[in-house]
Amino acid sequence: MQEYKRIDIGKDQIVPVAERMRKEGKYLVMIHAFLNKEGAVDISWDYAVDPAIESYHVVGETVVPTVSDIYDTAASWPERELNELLGIEFEGLDMSKRLFLPEDMLETEGKGQIFVMPLSELREKNAGKEE
Amino acid sequence: MSYIIPIGPYHPSLEEPIHAKLYTEGEVIKDAEVFVGYNHRGIEKLATERNAIQTLVLVERVCGICSHSHAFTYAMAVEAINQIEVPKRGQYIRVITAELERLHSHLLWMGIACHIIGHDSMFMHIWDERELIMDLLEKLSGNRVNYAMVTIGGSRRDISDDLRKEILEGCAALKAPLDRITEIALTDKTIAMRTKGVGVLTKEDAIRMGAVGPHARASGVKIDVRKDAPYSSYDDFEFDIPTVESGDVFARVVVRALECYESIKIIQQALENLPEGPINNGNKLPKIKEGQTVARHEAPRGQLSHMVVGNGSLTNHRVSIHVPSYKNTPTVPHMLRNNTVADAGLIIASIDPCFSCLDR
Repeated sequence: MQEYKRIDIGKDQIVPVAERMRKEGKYLVMIHAFLNKEGAVDISWDYAVDPAIESYHVVGETVVPTVSDIYDTAASWPERELNELLGIEFEGLDMSKRLFLPEDMLETEGKGQIFVMPLSELREKNAGKEE
Repeated sequence: MSYIIPIGPYHPSLEEPIHAKLYTEGEVIKDAEVFVGYNHRGIEKLATERNAIQTLVLVERVCGICSHSHAFTYAMAVEAINQIEVPKRGQYIRVITAELERLHSHLLWMGIACHIIGHDSMFMHIWDERELIMDLLEKLSGNRVNYAMVTIGGSRRDISDDLRKEILEGCAALKAPLDRITEIALTDKTIAMRTKGVGVLTKEDAIRMGAVGPHARASGVKIDVRKDAPYSSYDDFEFDIPTVESGDVFARVVVRALECYESIKIIQQALENLPEGPINNGNKLPKIKEGQTVARHEAPRGQLSHMVVGNGSLTNHRVSIHVPSYKNTPTVPHMLRNNTVADAGLIIASIDPCFSCLDR
């Protein structure tokens, strides 16, 4: 089984960790986020420290610094996705263009709701709009 | 004269949706942007209402080409959270299916690449040989796509002795046509003129932008999850990771051709040493224990990762799927710069993109 190491860090450690990993030539596998059972946002930056994954978690923050200046598109694409679908703000990230959502949803209530709202509520909200 | 040329989102090069904007000076592309999201189906969200067995069926529908890779990776994540050991025979069958999938995926892409450059006789030749693999997959699983070979705790279908011999014979029979395809790919003037020096991604840029799979290996980056973080039974097999340094479209053709040989080697070793015993551990419908993990698999296009969070219930609390095209597609604008408009379709297709995977 592949090894997965969870490491909890503070918001101020996100950039130093990314800089260290980049310097060591480690791949940023992915940036994930979800609402934990307490309803707080759990964001994780997963680095391939082969053969393990080192997963650095920040819990309870919805505004965090971008690491896209360190990891380029490997970071900016997942950051843009998490902004659109979960409403997390990445300070310093260029959000002038959409990634997944239609242009007309960027400034509306649709943004940031996809993973926050229960599926039943989403269905109710979109009732009659489905083709 | 400067123009902005829109390409897509309807089938710009492959039969999948992506929108590209090319900022050109005459025929030369000076800058480019890509836009995705035309095939977003909310699969991650749907997974939060599915149990583990239903999710296997769901994640197989992320992609028609690498469907087994998604089921394989999701199953590994749940097995890691629940501490489930997969019987060795089940592991081998998963690997055999994964490598057959890689073979058909690489041959499919090589055929399409030839079609895009106008070499249609080569396209038909490659796809004809690919049918051999598709037939084997059909005999193995009953399907040409969405094989449903994986269950939590092992594989769903066994390989009989007759089928074992048939797959071995099929792999042996593929070698001669593969030699011919590789020889043509390496020596044909048409292929060389259309692909050499086109859409270059340097090793430094590949690492910086996080390129993965054959796309990264064609830029000289030797990464492969099967070697870097061995999983399932990949440790049991001897195989190489081919790399090419030039980083152009030609290198991407060569890497994929060479990888086909390595997949054949793995399949042959797995079939010749197929362990006796059960193919799964009889799990029916597991509750996904409280926990979180990331499982990684080297899919045909590169590293595929599934992050699964369990909360002790039958359903997933969160499934986050990240596919190789997610890392490789952002390199496209970079590769398009200073190439001609005529090569744009080929360059977009050269990463073997899967926007169905990317959008989920």
